[in-house]
Amino acid sequence: MSSPVLASFHEQLHKCFEILKVNKSIWEGVLVECTSMISSLGNLATQIKALKNVQLANTPLAHFPSLQERLHYKLSLAVDTVLRKLDENMDALQTARNTISQHVSAAFQFYEKNTNTLDIICCVFRSATCPSIADMLEWLQDADRHYRLQLLQRRNFLQMLTPTDLTLMETAPKRWDSLRLPSREERIGDALCQVSFLMEMSSKAQL
Amino acid sequence: MTCVEGLRVVLLDVVDTDTQRCRVGPHLMSRLGLRVGSPVLIGVSQGTCLCVAWPRRDLAEGYVQISSQCATPDLSTQTFTGLTVDPARIKALSCPRLTCTSVKVFVRSLKHKRHVRELVQELLSGLYLHRGHLVDLSHANTEIRFVLVEHVNSGAHTAGLVTDRTRVDVSAVQSAKHFQNQQRVSDLSLGGLEDVYASLKEMIVFPLRYPASLHRLGVSCPRGLLLIGPPGVGKTLLVRCVAKDVGARLVTINGPEVTGSRPGESEENLRRVFDRAREAAEEGSCVLLIDEIDSLCPKRTSGSSAPENRLVAQLLTLMDGIGSEEGFVIIGVTNQPDALEPALRRPGRFDREVVIGVPLLLQRRRILECVCRQMPLSADVDLSAVAEMTCGYVGADLSALSREAALQAMRHSQPGVAERVEMRHFMAALRQVRPSCLRSSIGATDFKPVRWEQIGGLEEVQLKLKQSIEWPMRFPEAFVRMGISRPRGVLLYGPPGCAKTTLVKAAASSSRCTFLSVSGAEIFSPYVGDSEKTLTQLFVQARACAPSIVFLDEIDSIVGSRSDGGSSHSVQSQVLSVLLTELDGVGFRSLERRSGSRRMRQLESGEQEPDELHQMELQEVCNKDVLIVAATNRADVLDSALLRPGRLDHIIYVPPPDTEAREAVLRVCTEHVPLHPDVCLRDLAELTERFSGADLQNLCKEAALTALCEDGFTVSCVRHRHFLKTLQSLTPSLTPDQLQQNIHLSVSS
Repeated sequence: MSSPVLASFHEQLHKCFEILKVNKSIWEGVLVECTSMISSLGNLATQIKALKNVQLANTPLAHFPSLQERLHYKLSLAVDTVLRKLDENMDALQTARNTISQHVSAAFQFYEKNTNTLDIICCVFRSATCPSIADMLEWLQDADRHYRLQLLQRRNFLQMLTPTDLTLMETAPKRWDSLRLPSREERIGDALCQVSFLMEMSSKAQL
Repeated sequence: MTCVEGLRVVLLDVVDTDTQRCRVGPHLMSRLGLRVGSPVLIGVSQGTCLCVAWPRRDLAEGYVQISSQCATPDLSTQTFTGLTVDPARIKALSCPRLTCTSVKVFVRSLKHKRHVRELVQELLSGLYLHRGHLVDLSHANTEIRFVLVEHVNSGAHTAGLVTDRTRVDVSAVQSAKHFQNQQRVSDLSLGGLEDVYASLKEMIVFPLRYPASLHRLGVSCPRGLLLIGPPGVGKTLLVRCVAKDVGARLVTINGPEVTGSRPGESEENLRRVFDRAREAAEEGSCVLLIDEIDSLCPKRTSGSSAPENRLVAQLLTLMDGIGSEEGFVIIGVTNQPDALEPALRRPGRFDREVVIGVPLLLQRRRILECVCRQMPLSADVDLSAVAEMTCGYVGADLSALSREAALQAMRHSQPGVAERVEMRHFMAALRQVRPSCLRSSIGATDFKPVRWEQIGGLEEVQLKLKQSIEWPMRFPEAFVRMGISRPRGVLLYGPPGCAKTTLVKAAASSSRCTFLSVSGAEIFSPYVGDSEKTLTQLFVQARACAPSIVFLDEIDSIVGSRSDGGSSHSVQSQVLSVLLTELDGVGFRSLERRSGSRRMRQLESGEQEPDELHQMELQEVCNKDVLIVAATNRADVLDSALLRPGRLDHIIYVPPPDTEAREAVLRVCTEHVPLHPDVCLRDLAELTERFSGADLQNLCKEAALTALCEDGFTVSCVRHRHFLKTLQSLTPSLTPDQLQQNIHLSVSS
């Protein structure tokens, strides 16, 4: 159980998990930012809708020339700004996802290269302190897939938003929240907890 | 720890739903040489699915959890619970990284087609694909539900891994509903309708595949087709099969479903169905099937009601309205084309009319092959022989026959033993399942089969009858080679009681023709024109079930003669004229057309045709006609037009038995009678001058009764003196006059 290949593979896996941990927090941070933006987007949509429905001529504001168009223009600009920011955030998410993907696939490639040394029995061996290689690979793959899918769904959702479909934009915050999959996120958190002991051990050993 | 027996299939864990993972025990993995995450192809029931091997979390052996994310289309809807999988059906598959793949995408609704291409690439990335498999992508909650993999790496590989660098080509985008509709049609089998099938397929596929050429020619492809045929030949099945094969959506209209109670409701329903079909035609071809169109669209006469007329008019305008849609075909199905509105049957509405007749011999064989495909047949079952015996059976009858045979086999089987269906089961089923076209027919008769050996004497007549009836069935090749056609009619005449009817019975039971027997009582009716109609109907049915024998007993009473001074407008002379045209008319009505075998021949010309098939085909060519057998004892009163060659060509005199024949008849009649050794049949034959066959039979019966009378009920045998005593009281039924009359005719003809 202590061949050099195994040790180096373990090391690579730990590195992967560290990357995952870092990027998970980045991802969550960006998502929090997004949530506030999306809610402001929903707010803007409500405003545009209200603007469409109101009869400005019947209000004291009737004296201002072409107020309706101006307000609409202003609101549209605001929507554009929010969407642009969201897009930037998506790019940030993409970077995080790419980093995770890169490391996960590197780990898999390493495993595939060394299948002869790392046979199944070795892969499924687990101890109290150390989860089995198969488990760790599974967690990594699941995490990678989760982030890939999340990004895809969120991007897809943002693409579906159009200035004409105000109802969709109004309900955007709710829909955005419904895209979250807490169970998957929990699983990633659990996985990180399970490997944390091992990671501490190895970092101590390095010290 | 090794498990050789099957692996139990367990439900997939929730966390594994969209991961393509299949969980097996680690030992099995190492035995199969799999690493964690290596792609495997698993064969489950009828299909296969491509998974990624992964050790079970609890490391237990003997179980398998299969993800059906990428599986053959028939598997994806099934659940695997309760099945077992043989470990040998799990195979490792080498999956290279793909450079390109071509897929067909099924989306939730066609409205969101825009982002499909980018989405598919993202969704498929990281998955293993197999050619022809259906990939379920509904978990991602995007517009894309399924993806059908058409080929990977341009066909160079069968399976592979999609990466970010793989080019994913979307060949078509269709709605998932469309796909599910196609899947719902179960596997249908169709036999013997190849030519109609081809023409139907051509009609649906041409406008879709070659729109440019059609446009260049400046024509629009025909869009309407009327299928005509007797019930049970497989008209509706044919349409379903074609629709399934070309991947067309099938929309069905049934008469009663459309008709509503409120005024205008029926028309509205009809319009709605047409709209639905038109919608379906937008994404690929669509077949609108109007089943039993005669009920929906009857003739508009002054007698029919206004709502009915309005419905017909609506259908006509709707059919005119479908000009522009590509791949929209309307197929009407009916078995009573005469009841249809004539305005429907013109180019532009129903351009083509296809008549599907009662299947011929080769077609029957194909149908039998189809319906028996799933059945475990024992080696002694000869489907060709069954096809020969089932003359006049349509597809539905044949499938009923095979079902009955299987039921027979089940009844005779021991519990727990899978019995194979044998020939005797088919024979038993044949007795129970009669052809449906004869169920309501006039003249269909049941009689006890008579063997040739049961007829004493008359060898010459027997030979002539065999020539006309049996030989064309048994030696078709010789008939074709010598250029002989089968005779159209046979007239048996002779004094009464000389076995004319029995001869016909024997002929009918030895050949496997349909046998229709009709007498004056069935034909004549008190209504004007009814008798003629009945006779025509009889011939229509006989032709539908050809080869067939129509037996007209006592023909002189049915038709009579036109020259014997009677009124030329009597019913008898009219029946005679009908009979003459039926025997030798210009042709048949187009309705009675039966598909020729030539087309089938062409289809098969690529492959080497076995001799047996060739033989069957010849037999078919020779025996497509109806043979009329008439019997009379007054041939002199028959119309001369009836007796010329081409109508009743073989005129056979059935003579009163001579001495040898009488002896033979006596031998046949006394077969079941215990005779005393002193009985000399030769003497009796000499003593019974001018006795007919029937008289001789009577003599034997009377002699046995005399024996019972004289010697009491314990008598063991009939003695010669009993015969002699009986003979004294019997007089021959044939008179010299009769004999003279018949001989005179035979000399003159």
